[in-house]
Amino acid sequence: MKILYAFFVCLFLVSFTNAQERFLTKKGMISFFSETPIENIEAQNNQVLSIVDASSGKMAIAILMKSFMFKKALMQEHFNENYVESDKYPKATFKGDIIDFDNITTSEITLAIKGNLTIHGKTKEITIEAVTKKTDEVIEMTGNFFINLSDFDVKIPSVVKNNISEKIKVSFRLYHKTYKK
Amino acid sequence: MKKISIYILIIGLIGVFIGYKMYNKPHINVAEKPVDIALTASILLADFSSNETSANTKYLDKIIAVKGMVTTIEFDGEKTAISLQTKDDFGSVVCYLTKEEFKKSTEIKEGQEVVLKGICTGFLMDVILVKCIIMNSK
Repeated sequence: MKILYAFFVCLFLVSFTNAQERFLTKKGMISFFSETPIENIEAQNNQVLSIVDASSGKMAIAILMKSFMFKKALMQEHFNENYVESDKYPKATFKGDIIDFDNITTSEITLAIKGNLTIHGKTKEITIEAVTKKTDEVIEMTGNFFINLSDFDVKIPSVVKNNISEKIKVSFRLYHKTYKK
Repeated sequence: MKKISIYILIIGLIGVFIGYKMYNKPHINVAEKPVDIALTASILLADFSSNETSANTKYLDKIIAVKGMVTTIEFDGEKTAISLQTKDDFGSVVCYLTKEEFKKSTEIKEGQEVVLKGICTGFLMDVILVKCIIMNSK
């Protein structure tokens, strides 16, 4: 946790000297969706922190698990207490490289991002695709991908096995702006 | 025999009713809940930046009333985010208001001192409070 904080502080310090190169959002959106014949479960997080370094094409995302809002309070409780154990693992993070970042333009193109996703204390390397667009002030990224609960050691009790999909669809919308303070 | 089966049926119905109630349990209503911890934005942020793990145990999921000066107020549709000033140069306390507070939040100005009540979800660059309501804006 400390390391992560230090990492962001470092990103910050650099951003002072190199203000044009860092793009940041504190209000990114990430949602997930589990679809089963019995019920659909959906949750949204609107407080996603995401930073893109336009000079190297690296990006870093941090999310608070407790910021996921569900329609039903009970689902939210189960999610935090039983499945992702938010008290033990309060954050999910992603650190990765945007492949061929130099190709980014002012019109939408799809780029691949390869990096490590950490949820529930487990890390997995993933490659995701994002529709991206960049102007002088804004880098926009949207897309979705699937994750397997078993990859992150999230255990679903057999009683509700049919209510929760093993494959979870994750959607994101990140609207980074140049960082200035 | 008939009596017993009626009892079982009643107990079953009660069970289903309780189950249904629990399944549809409403979200915490911040406005009705008593404040667990009241403090200033500076102290809240300082606690998180000095020791995040202990601050997590202390503040997460708690109803917190935080006092501070508004540095920025941003609107995204009916969603309002208010940042409060702290003594720290980097971080602040960011409070995300409920939709019901939208009207009240349009009256808030930057530089004003406010007390906001919400649920703490943790610390990224800033301490984050969600489902906030405005307690005092004088």
